[in-house]
Amino acid sequence: MFQQITDILVGKFHVDPAAVTPDVTLTDLELDSLDIVELGLTMQQELGTTLTDDDLVNAGSLGAIVELAGQRVTAS
Amino acid sequence: MSASLAARPHPVLVGVGGYLPPRVVTNDELAGHLDTSDEWIRGRTGIAVRRFAGPGTSTADLACEAGMLALKSSGEPDVDAVVLATATPDHPLPATAPEVAARLGLSGIAAYDVGAVCAGFLYGLASACGQIAAGWSRRVLLIGAETFTSIIDPQDRTTAVIFADGAGAVVLRAGEPDEPGAIGRVVLGSDGDHKNLIMVPGGGSRYRADGITPGPRDGYFQMAGRDVYRHAVDRMSSASLAALGHAGWSVADVDRFVPHQANAKISAAVAARLGLPDGRVLSNIAETGNTSAASIPLLLAQAAADGSLQPGHKVLLTAFGGGLTWGASTLVWPGVTALSER
Repeated sequence: MFQQITDILVGKFHVDPAAVTPDVTLTDLELDSLDIVELGLTMQQELGTTLTDDDLVNAGSLGAIVELAGQRVTAS
Repeated sequence: MSASLAARPHPVLVGVGGYLPPRVVTNDELAGHLDTSDEWIRGRTGIAVRRFAGPGTSTADLACEAGMLALKSSGEPDVDAVVLATATPDHPLPATAPEVAARLGLSGIAAYDVGAVCAGFLYGLASACGQIAAGWSRRVLLIGAETFTSIIDPQDRTTAVIFADGAGAVVLRAGEPDEPGAIGRVVLGSDGDHKNLIMVPGGGSRYRADGITPGPRDGYFQMAGRDVYRHAVDRMSSASLAALGHAGWSVADVDRFVPHQANAKISAAVAARLGLPDGRVLSNIAETGNTSAASIPLLLAQAAADGSLQPGHKVLLTAFGGGLTWGASTLVWPGVTALSER
């Protein structure tokens, strides 16, 4: 899941791959509020997760987002 | 098919004009009184500069300029109706269109406002097309005009950097469905359950009905950006696909995509969802900001004038606005002389 989210961040949001670590926040990666909405929608489409933009912001670090995403993959 | 159906007139675009007020407002100027910066605004909205109507300039003034240019572009000064799409009329009442019609020398004809905020141009387009298809008007002037800055809270950095002023207009005439400029099905939709996402809360009957005393900011425009983004991308994408379906076009057939200039990120997300390559997406938000109901005709006029929109191009229009409201339509761009003043 960490690698899949990293791929989205690098591919779609042009984040530097070297900057993506479990400790980093989305704000650290310079994603703004609309980027975070788009990240939530993209993760939903590509990974089947059900995280809202609020979930992503409240989770804090990328590691916490990965953990939450793992718990919230829609059964399909 | 009966003779009467076969003879039904079809609305065709035959003129286009765009007008921006002269005052250029930079991001740095806004950063002078807001907690923001040029980098912040460009990164989040794609906007570099925008135009503000100066003192002494109202929505009707901008509408007259754009209307005059569109009439001139069409080659004829007369129409049977004026439809004005605006969320920032000169007065709560009367409507602004009658004054615009009178000032354009068209006193006596039908003239009315249409309100669908940023989707207003497409709602106005449906109304104007209906006038022509019903046989009630032969020629209609449709204007989208806004002095959006008149309802913006100058201290709200989330909206004050995005919205701006301007006007665009088109002339439609009765013609044939297979000629260039023929307007495809105007797909419209709304969802009033989410009216709170984009609104000016005060100033209407709701507060009085609920016994609410308006607060100092309740006369200003308010928007829930993240929620709007989600709805806008969904609705503009689905309306676009519906309009393409009615036209019998695939996404690959679209030469030019003309989305309402809400925010560069929304346009990019809709284009990506549709699978449209960047080179086919028209944009002027970097120089105009979000001009609400004026944005689509302004962009059409500017793009046709600078050559990025050419006769024969298959064009897809879409917009999303408060209401919630949204819409989409198609046309093959006709050989018109666009008049764009900025």
